[in-house]
Amino acid sequence: MTSKIGFIVNPVAGMGGRVGLKGTDGVVKKAEELGARPVAPIKAEQAVKEFLSMHHEGDVKWFTCSGVMGEDELKKAGVKDIKIVYFLKSGEIGTTAEDTKKVCKKFLEENVDLVFFCGGDGTARDIFEVVKDKTPVLGIPSGVKMHSGVFGINTSASAKMLHEFVNKRLTIGDVEILDLDEEKYRKGEWNIRIFGVAKGIIEPTYVQVGKTVFKSVSDDEIKDELSEHIADEMNMHPDYLYIFGSGGTIDYIAKKIGVENTLLGIDAVYKKKLVGKDLNEEGLLRVLDKHPKAKVILSPIGAQGFILGRGNLQLSPRVIKRIGLDNIIVVSTPSKLISTPVIRVDTGDKQLDHEFAEKEYMMVVIGYKLSRVVRIQTNNF
Amino acid sequence: MKEKTEFLEREYKELEEKGYTWVIRDLLGPSDVHVNVEGKECIMLASNNYLNLANHPKLKEAAMKAIERYGAGAGSDWSIAGTMDIHQKLYRKIAEFKNTEDAVTFQTGFAVNAGVIPQLAGKGDILISDELNHGSIIDGVRLTKADRAIYSHSNMGELEKVLQDADKKNYRRAIILTDGVFSMDGDIAKMDEICKLAEEYGAMVYVDDAHGEGVLGDGHGIGREFDLEKKIDFQVGTFSKAFGSFGGMLAGSESLIKFAYNTARTWLLSAAFPPHVAAANIAALEVVEEEPERVKKLWDNTRYFKKEIESLGFDTGYSQTPIIPAIVGDSKKAKELAENLYKEGIFALAIVFPMVARDKARIRNQMNAGMTREDLDKILSAYEKLSTKLKLV
Repeated sequence: MTSKIGFIVNPVAGMGGRVGLKGTDGVVKKAEELGARPVAPIKAEQAVKEFLSMHHEGDVKWFTCSGVMGEDELKKAGVKDIKIVYFLKSGEIGTTAEDTKKVCKKFLEENVDLVFFCGGDGTARDIFEVVKDKTPVLGIPSGVKMHSGVFGINTSASAKMLHEFVNKRLTIGDVEILDLDEEKYRKGEWNIRIFGVAKGIIEPTYVQVGKTVFKSVSDDEIKDELSEHIADEMNMHPDYLYIFGSGGTIDYIAKKIGVENTLLGIDAVYKKKLVGKDLNEEGLLRVLDKHPKAKVILSPIGAQGFILGRGNLQLSPRVIKRIGLDNIIVVSTPSKLISTPVIRVDTGDKQLDHEFAEKEYMMVVIGYKLSRVVRIQTNNF
Repeated sequence: MKEKTEFLEREYKELEEKGYTWVIRDLLGPSDVHVNVEGKECIMLASNNYLNLANHPKLKEAAMKAIERYGAGAGSDWSIAGTMDIHQKLYRKIAEFKNTEDAVTFQTGFAVNAGVIPQLAGKGDILISDELNHGSIIDGVRLTKADRAIYSHSNMGELEKVLQDADKKNYRRAIILTDGVFSMDGDIAKMDEICKLAEEYGAMVYVDDAHGEGVLGDGHGIGREFDLEKKIDFQVGTFSKAFGSFGGMLAGSESLIKFAYNTARTWLLSAAFPPHVAAANIAALEVVEEEPERVKKLWDNTRYFKKEIESLGFDTGYSQTPIIPAIVGDSKKAKELAENLYKEGIFALAIVFPMVARDKARIRNQMNAGMTREDLDKILSAYEKLSTKLKLV
């Protein structure tokens, strides 16, 4: 039986990441000015190509939007049987939220079996607003934020999942749609909202599940311990620059140590003084020029367990190579490790990912002077 | 202050609501294969009395004679004035039994771990611990100022990664700590690999063999089983399980024992166990040596029961020893099964979350050398009946 796939690309998704913006909703121009280039169309095309290499095209009928929001990518990937369900009014990008919703309405009319999209949490949210739980959704991760459970862990995984879905080897299950309020997010306020429960493709190893929020007293106690551990570490090596990653755990630690941290940004601390706030890739490289001996403190982000490649694209391959793999300190509450028994790395640099893969395991600090071995998973699977 | 003792009742209630509280059952009479649990005759499946020595005439006789000769108590700490010649005789017997230079006893196995581990490591050292180690090891480790690292259960790849990482960080000492036999799953530590890795990276090895003594290595424990008696730096054990009596032990080099005498606070600051306990312990080790058929019978029972319960469709997990879990899934099911077994005249313990993973709740069946084929068949037929009744397998 032929599968009907609704395919949609948010061409501006992920553009803000490397230039230190935390999303592109409403700030596409600023991202472009800062030198950002579209990444989603390339990832979308790559995913479709990988899917086609695994799958016989005849079994699938593609429904999509004209131009950059799907048609171009499908054509470049080599798909011929395409039905355009919606035509973009202008070539301008930046109005995609509304366009996305309109395309999804058409998908529903066409009764597609799956909405396959490329974007971030914002895109997932726009799609969900229309399709609700009527049609399953699968995402190729290309945004800055991907907390929602609809994404494969990378382009290849999403392609593989689509293949498995078309072959009916994967089941449909509930996944949460999560997103941060982008305005508040840019101001450093952690405001996760659950937008609802969508239907997703369930594949336990690869699919990102919704970010599990642990808000118990004991977790705070653990974070206190982690703070003490990091404080000790900083006292032991006072000549090092400390780069604080993003996320709730790191933020807690930084505040406990007395550093005014950017919740979702990357900050640099030297001799307990903030020497760089909310740094982008260039900013990080500059501060590393001044202080070449550096350690970076990271924590798995959300239930996906990513320490690099999700939500902290400023920590680019260049930055990480400069710091050195041995100078990465990973901290986590044990409760987080229960839902993310592996930590994931997706730097976008094959050689660097390979170096992580070769380590196989990382020591993750889970308490004061207490660590445990946790397996690393990169996208080389 | 905001409150006083009212929290005791409140917090107990919370535990009770979650179903985490223990129901303590009284045994009316000795711990044996057949026991009287609050008036009901049962087969005992929940004791650690693997060799059925708890009620053995030789142990009882030795204890009674010792009471006649030495009295009921030791009168002091071992360190001050509580060490009697019968204690010394026991130390020598343990060292001979374990094939180590020397040995000493503690009040309990818990007291060994809680007292000795904190003295072995401090700042600049690392303690490396299997994630499923017994709580007493965990507590002992917590009492140190050393760095601590945990590896996934019996995962030698991970253990090596910790050692490699520790090597880079230039620690003064590293000690790998492990149970010999893991009490929830009944699997055996990979001692050969652990000792090999320890040697390669210059680490020491600490083993708590509480469930392996009397069971492995013809009853001598994990050291004999793997022919590593001289390679394990710190051997911890207990007389309260297969040996049927009471008290913890530490065996190893002469210098270890001298060190422990002078530093282990649980040893130094609590009283010596009574002389009749020492006498029963000596008798227990003698019986293990004199009656090798006990260990053999224990293993015959283990093999038979494991094979039969598996053929009923029960998952026994990773069991390699007389601890044979019957994994049924969720906690409620396991508790229901334990209650039903009790009605059938079988006293067994349900092990539930959070002691084991949520979906791995189980009945922990513990074999006993004193069980006859009839006893085992009675247990198995109860399992067969209940697995249909409760839709378990």
